[in-house]
Amino acid sequence: MRNKNGEAQVLSGMKEKQKRYETLVRAFHADIYRYAYWLVKDKPVAEDIVQETFLRAWRSLDSLQDEKAAKSWLITILRRENARRFERKQLDLVDIDDVSVFDEQPSTESALAHRELNQLMLGLKEEYREPLMLQLLFGFSGEEIAEQLNLNKNTVMTRLFRARNQLKEALESQNTLRGRKNG
Amino acid sequence: MDELEFRRRVYANPDNNEQDVIDAATQDPEKQAFRNELKAFNNRLSVASKVPVPEDLAHKLIWQQSVRDFALQKKRNRWYTAMAASIAFVAGISFTQWYNAPQADLSMQALAHMQYAEQEKSHSAVPVDLQQINAKLAGFGAHLAADIGNVKSANYCHLSTVRSLHLILDTDQGLMSVFVLPHSDDTALPKSFAGERFHGESVDLHKANVIVVGENGAELAPLKNKVTRNMLFST
Repeated sequence: MRNKNGEAQVLSGMKEKQKRYETLVRAFHADIYRYAYWLVKDKPVAEDIVQETFLRAWRSLDSLQDEKAAKSWLITILRRENARRFERKQLDLVDIDDVSVFDEQPSTESALAHRELNQLMLGLKEEYREPLMLQLLFGFSGEEIAEQLNLNKNTVMTRLFRARNQLKEALESQNTLRGRKNG
Repeated sequence: MDELEFRRRVYANPDNNEQDVIDAATQDPEKQAFRNELKAFNNRLSVASKVPVPEDLAHKLIWQQSVRDFALQKKRNRWYTAMAASIAFVAGISFTQWYNAPQADLSMQALAHMQYAEQEKSHSAVPVDLQQINAKLAGFGAHLAADIGNVKSANYCHLSTVRSLHLILDTDQGLMSVFVLPHSDDTALPKSFAGERFHGESVDLHKANVIVVGENGAELAPLKNKVTRNMLFST
């Protein structure tokens, strides 16, 4: 009898864990994937890392006490996973300029602009790109980014400033170029 | 707030809603315009940052977890099964060894068989003839040169694991048994032994041991001597 109860408890515990995990996946998989993509600049690799991340998350799900902390917890796992990938083997990193980032052909003006922005963001230095994505994707505050990346807040704010500044300038210079061409 | 500070803060976070930033913007249309421009720009960045996610990713993540978990479970189960199998195997081996270990005390077995001897019905009213006995003795490489008495039955039986021939004889001193069993090095066979009702004596013949068992008080020597005299072994 006790055994049966114990089993039932284990089962319901498993079920509970499964439910928590699925909630976590549904809530965060998209942004976690995007974040991975901006980190590694490669879709299949990003997907691999996300799978690895969630697998690790599942294994240590019991250690996640505070659901509010889930986001940064996952990001931490992801960043560690990414670092591990570099330890494992120094991958041949393709230069993003040589690769077509989107398979779809941009058909409209906005799609073109969209693609352009993408390229520009991919071209940012990682130290600028990462805090920017934490802000754009997860709505992290300066303090939260600082904590996540283990930097001080001023450094983070400077990097965010530079990231946008560079993007804006690059965009404007491209527009000027295009304007000249068109004109 | 000076221009540079304002710009730095808006660049760092266009959606900055801190009071001093809002105040500075309200007071200065240029700052306001700059802020609005940056907000719009940031919107575009925000949209661009949301790259398409593989459609089935969520399913994949949930699926991979269940599959790996299942595999893990299976592995664990396999491990349990393997464990159980080894335990069963060891238990089996030990039991077999214990069971097969020639019981040091064949004599006790012989005594136990006597209980059955009483129940054993003779196969026919006619005594078992010498030919039949010798046919069975042949397995031990032995034969009897002459009758040793009125043999009621001659059957193979196992004393512990040792296959033996059990002869039950009707004698003037009651039922007696003669066991013929092959030599076995690790078998200790006492010269004489006794139980509550029966006692027995053994004799080591050329190629086999012979045990004679009779009721307590019955004299075993005559039958034993008869067997010893008449049992011959082929070389």
